[in-house]
Amino acid sequence: MTERIVHMFDVVAAQGHGSVWTVLFIGFCFGAIILWSRLDKFEKMAGFMIFEDTLAPRMAMMTVAVSGLGFYLLVHGGYAEYQVKPTLLAGVLVGAVLFGIGLVILGKCPSAFFVSVSEGRVDALVGVLGGMVGGAVFTLTFPWVKNLLGPDLGPIRLSDVLGGYELAIVLVISLALLVAAYLIPTVDYHDPADEPKTEHKSVN
Amino acid sequence: MLRKIPWWAGGLLFSLLFFFSFSEWGAGRPIGASTGMAYLSTVLFGLDADTHEYTALIETSGAWEGVMLIGVFFGGLFMSIFVTKTFHISYIPTLWKARKNRSVPSRMLWSFVAGFLLVYGARLAGGCNAGHILSGGSQTAVSGMIFTVVALGTGMITGRFFYKRKEKRA
Repeated sequence: MTERIVHMFDVVAAQGHGSVWTVLFIGFCFGAIILWSRLDKFEKMAGFMIFEDTLAPRMAMMTVAVSGLGFYLLVHGGYAEYQVKPTLLAGVLVGAVLFGIGLVILGKCPSAFFVSVSEGRVDALVGVLGGMVGGAVFTLTFPWVKNLLGPDLGPIRLSDVLGGYELAIVLVISLALLVAAYLIPTVDYHDPADEPKTEHKSVN
Repeated sequence: MLRKIPWWAGGLLFSLLFFFSFSEWGAGRPIGASTGMAYLSTVLFGLDADTHEYTALIETSGAWEGVMLIGVFFGGLFMSIFVTKTFHISYIPTLWKARKNRSVPSRMLWSFVAGFLLVYGARLAGGCNAGHILSGGSQTAVSGMIFTVVALGTGMITGRFFYKRKEKRA
């Protein structure tokens, strides 16, 4: 296993997508922002789907609104390239259903459960173990499953479907998401476990 | 330092990080997590690229995301110890206690099953929250939009049946 871990760092160093330190830095910031906004909490990520909290959809809308516009400028300025995932229709549909069920029960996504483990949440660690088994089972079943993922519609973007209007689409989506994020009311699920230790000792 | 940041600040910070990762100044690729999760599982269970087609397929992007996830863990650890000061060992989320039950074995069993579905589903779909919803949405990718609607819709329907009804607050 040690050999494979060393190999992982070698592969990253050789693939031209930033140095190992850059990638670790990106991950560090990603995890830090997830924890700082409390997005990793069950109350946030499962909570919004059972109407107890609104942080997750508003934060995601804000991110996509600003990043969508920024990505457009970066790509057209020549500083980045779009890297769109293919639309393998059956795979995306069935995968999204399984993912949605997992998300509302675990209350973490495949980045946030690592963040939750770092905060001492044992249930998140069990979720990571389930995910490890899930990843391994997928790897083992891939030779059969791969034939069921299609039809492959290719790496399409909305502008490919609508026949152009790339800038207009980006502007409309960003504006709509910003307005929606602003209009969604603030619902913050109060979690006594988040309060400083001296305060909630008396509660329990 | 602030112990918690609001949604708009979180969204802006995410965006700044995404610009760095996506552009040639950073990594020249968008952020994703579930390929990394699958990659780490092949490391853990010793599923080598020589004998397993999928391991070979995700060799480069999986390694990138695997290293990123190591960073994610330490980023969370740093914040939970020094900034939010919320690090403590816990077993059941507060909201789960309110809407499901107070049984530790029940929460652990469901966490394992849900973690499995989460990663297996994300690999079928070719991405998760990070790759499909945030990075995909920001690129107006059709796959990301379909994934977002179906995953969140399924989650809401499942939540309606899986959890107890919301108690009316006084």
